[in-house]
Amino acid sequence: MLESLLALGGLVLLRDSVEWEGRSLLKALVKKSALCGEQVHVLGCEVSEEEFREGFDSSINSRLVYHDLFRDPLSWSKPGKALPGGPLEALRALDKKTSSGPATIALDSLSWLLHHLPCPTLCQTLHALSRQDSCPGDSPPGEQVRVLGLLHEELHGPGPLGALSSLAQTEVTLSGTMGQASAHILYRRPRQHPTHQTQWFSILPDFSLELQVEPPLESQPRSDPHTPSVDPTTHLTFNLHLSKKEREVKDSLTLPFQFSLEKQQALLRPGLSQATSHIFYEPDAYDDLDQEDPDDDLDV
Amino acid sequence: MAAAGTCGTGTRSTGSVVAAASTNNVTSFQRRGPRASGADSGCSRLVSIAGTRPSVRNGQLLVSTGLPALDQLLGGGLAVGTVLLIEEDKYNIYSPLLFKYFLAEGIVSGHALLVASAKEDPADILQKLPAPLIDDSYKKECDEDVCSHKTESDIKMKIAWRYQLLPKMEAGPVSSSRFGHYYDISKRIPQELIETSKWHGFFLPEKISSTFNAEPCSLTSGYMKLLQFIQNIIYEEGFDGSNPQKKQKNILRIGIQNLGSPLWGDDICCTENSDTSHSLTKFLYILRGLLRSSLSACIITMPTHLIQNKAVIARVTNLSDTVVGLESFIGSEKETNPLYKDYHGLIHIRQIPRLNNLIYDISDVKDLAFKLKKKLFTIEARIWSGLSFPPSGDPLNPGIEPPSPATPILQVDSSTTEPSATAFASRLVRHCEPLKQTGSGRIRQAAGPRLWHDGRRQEAPGLLVTPP
Repeated sequence: MLESLLALGGLVLLRDSVEWEGRSLLKALVKKSALCGEQVHVLGCEVSEEEFREGFDSSINSRLVYHDLFRDPLSWSKPGKALPGGPLEALRALDKKTSSGPATIALDSLSWLLHHLPCPTLCQTLHALSRQDSCPGDSPPGEQVRVLGLLHEELHGPGPLGALSSLAQTEVTLSGTMGQASAHILYRRPRQHPTHQTQWFSILPDFSLELQVEPPLESQPRSDPHTPSVDPTTHLTFNLHLSKKEREVKDSLTLPFQFSLEKQQALLRPGLSQATSHIFYEPDAYDDLDQEDPDDDLDV
Repeated sequence: MAAAGTCGTGTRSTGSVVAAASTNNVTSFQRRGPRASGADSGCSRLVSIAGTRPSVRNGQLLVSTGLPALDQLLGGGLAVGTVLLIEEDKYNIYSPLLFKYFLAEGIVSGHALLVASAKEDPADILQKLPAPLIDDSYKKECDEDVCSHKTESDIKMKIAWRYQLLPKMEAGPVSSSRFGHYYDISKRIPQELIETSKWHGFFLPEKISSTFNAEPCSLTSGYMKLLQFIQNIIYEEGFDGSNPQKKQKNILRIGIQNLGSPLWGDDICCTENSDTSHSLTKFLYILRGLLRSSLSACIITMPTHLIQNKAVIARVTNLSDTVVGLESFIGSEKETNPLYKDYHGLIHIRQIPRLNNLIYDISDVKDLAFKLKKKLFTIEARIWSGLSFPPSGDPLNPGIEPPSPATPILQVDSSTTEPSATAFASRLVRHCEPLKQTGSGRIRQAAGPRLWHDGRRQEAPGLLVTPP
C-alpha cells in the first residue's frame, strides 16, 4: 500500500481525526521513502523534533532533514538562527532545496499551516512545491517531488478541505471500526478516472505497515428479519403472466400504424384490390343524373 | 425593430429615412451608405472571418465551441463577445475536455488564442489538444456505435414506434470546413498546427511576484494581472478595431481555466464570508466589458462545487452569458443506477443569453447526458420511457416533480403561439432563468431540425402537476 501511495507523486493528503490518528502513517511513509534512498525533508510544526524522530533507527534519522517550526514558530529567539520569515518562507525554502532529484517533503501538519497562513497562499505554495519546474508528463514519476501532508479533518470547514482535496493527487481518509484502522484511498491520476480503494492496516512499532483483512461485521445486528417476499399475482382473478406461446404471438404482432414490410408490399402490389372495390350509390329524388358535362356549353 | 433579415439588428437605424427630393419617382427614402466601422455583427462583410457564421435567428456572429452538439444546444454556436462559463464536475475530468475542444477549434479555424491558467503551463495545455478528424473517419466511428446500439433500442422502441422516425441529435460531419469540426481525443494535435497558430499564454505563477504582499485592493492581484494582460493583447493585436490598418479581421478566443480556485489567489472556495468575495464578480464584469467591445469569445471553467457561498454562484451565473454545468456520475450513487448506465454524466444548460432578441433560443430538450467514448465526447438527449423509474431515483414513489413556475415561459419558442403577456413582460430585461429538469417522463426529441410538428407534442406545463 505504501508504494502505491508514493508512486503517484504530487500532493498526498492524509486526513485523520481524533479517533484515528495519521501521524504514524505519515512516519511509515517517511520511513519508506527514506529507505528508497530519497531525500526526505520534514517540516515539523506540531510535535517536537525528538518526538518525531522517535522510533526511527539511525540510518533513517540520518537521512531526515528536519526543519523545526515547533520550537520557535515566531522567531523570538535569536533571529537568523531559526527559520526566518515564518512558515511561508520555510515552505518556499523547501521548494528551492528540493530542486535536484526526487525528494519527499512531509508536512506535519497542514492544519497548523492552514491556521497560520491564508488558504489560497498555502494552496499556491503547495502547488508550486509539488509541481517543480519540470513538466510532469516528461519526467518519470520517480523523479518528482512528493508532498505528504497531514490534515486534521475536524479542525477545518468544508471550504479548505475541498480546496486541498482538489489539489491533491492522492487522498487518504483514515477511519476504522472496532480498533482496526482503515484507509480509504482516492487516486486522482491526471486525465483518468479517479479510483477508490479501501485498505485495512495496522502500523507496527517500527513504522512498517501491515495489511489486515476486513473485520467481519458481526457486531452490527441485522435491522429487519428477512421477510418472505409475497407474490402479489397469486390471488388475482385475472392472469398477468404470459405463456410462451402467447409471448411469441405478441412479439410477432405488427402494430397497426407501423409501416412494416408487409404493409409496404401490400401498398405496392398493383391492381389486386381494385377489382374487389365497389361503389354503392343510391340516388334520391333531388339528384340530377344527367350524364352530360355542364361545362361543355361554356365559351372558353 | 427594423426588419433587416440577416443583417444586424439595430445597426440600420431609423435615421436612414431621408425624405429628399430624388430624381427617381419610385420612393423618396434613400438608403444610407454602409457604415465604415467594422463593429456590425452579421453583415455580409464580417462573414469573411474564418470560422464564424451569422446566426440565422438573431444575426449575431457565432463561433463554434468545438463540439457541434453543444453548438446546436446553444442555438448555433457561441456568440462573439460573450462568455461561456462551464461549471466543472467534481473531479475535473470532463470540463478540461470542453476547454480543449474550444481551443482546438480556434487553432483549426485560424483564430488567435489566449490561454490563461494557474495550474498548468499554457504551452502544455496546447500540446495536449485533440487532433481534428477528417470527415470519413468520423462517419466510420458513428456507424460502429450505431450498429451496437441498434439491437437494444429495437426492443424498447416497439411500442413507441413513432420515435424511431425522429432524427437524432448528432448532425453528420460538417462537410465544409468553415464551422464546427470533430476531434479525436486519443490523438494529439499535430505540432505544425500549433506552430502556425498565434497564441498568447498567461501562467499565473510566473507573472505573480514572489514576495507575499497583501495588497488591499478590490481585485485579487492575479485577476488584475490577467485583465491587464487581456486588455493589452486586445489592444495591441487590434481585436477591438483600434488598428484600422489591419486588413484581416480575426477572432480572439480566450480560455481561462479553473477561475475562482485557490490557485488564483481567491479564497472564495475556502471560506463562506471572505473579504475579497467581490473580486471574482468584478473580474467577470470587467471581462465582459472587454469582450463586448472586441471581436473575442471567452470560455471559463470554474469549480463551482467548491464555492462555499451560494449567492456568489448566482452572481457569477448572472454575470456570464452562457452557463453550462457538468455533473459526472463518478462517486455518486447515480453511477450504479441502471437509468444512467450508458452515460458518464449529465449536462445542465443553466443559462442562455438573449442577445438582440426578445425571446430565448433554447432547445426543446432539457434532459441531456454526455458520454465520453474512446475518441469522442458526445451529448445525447436522455430518452427513457415513462414506464421505468423517474430520474429522481426513487423507485418506490414515481411521483412527478411539478414544473417550477419558470418553465411555462421557457417552453416558448419561436414557432408556438404567443405566450401570456404577464410572463413575457417580466422577462423583458433579464436573462433566462435557470432551466429546471422537470423529469416528468416525457420522451423527448433531441434538438434537431424542427420538422416534426406533430411529433413535438408539448404538453401544457401544469398538466402533470400532482395536486398539493
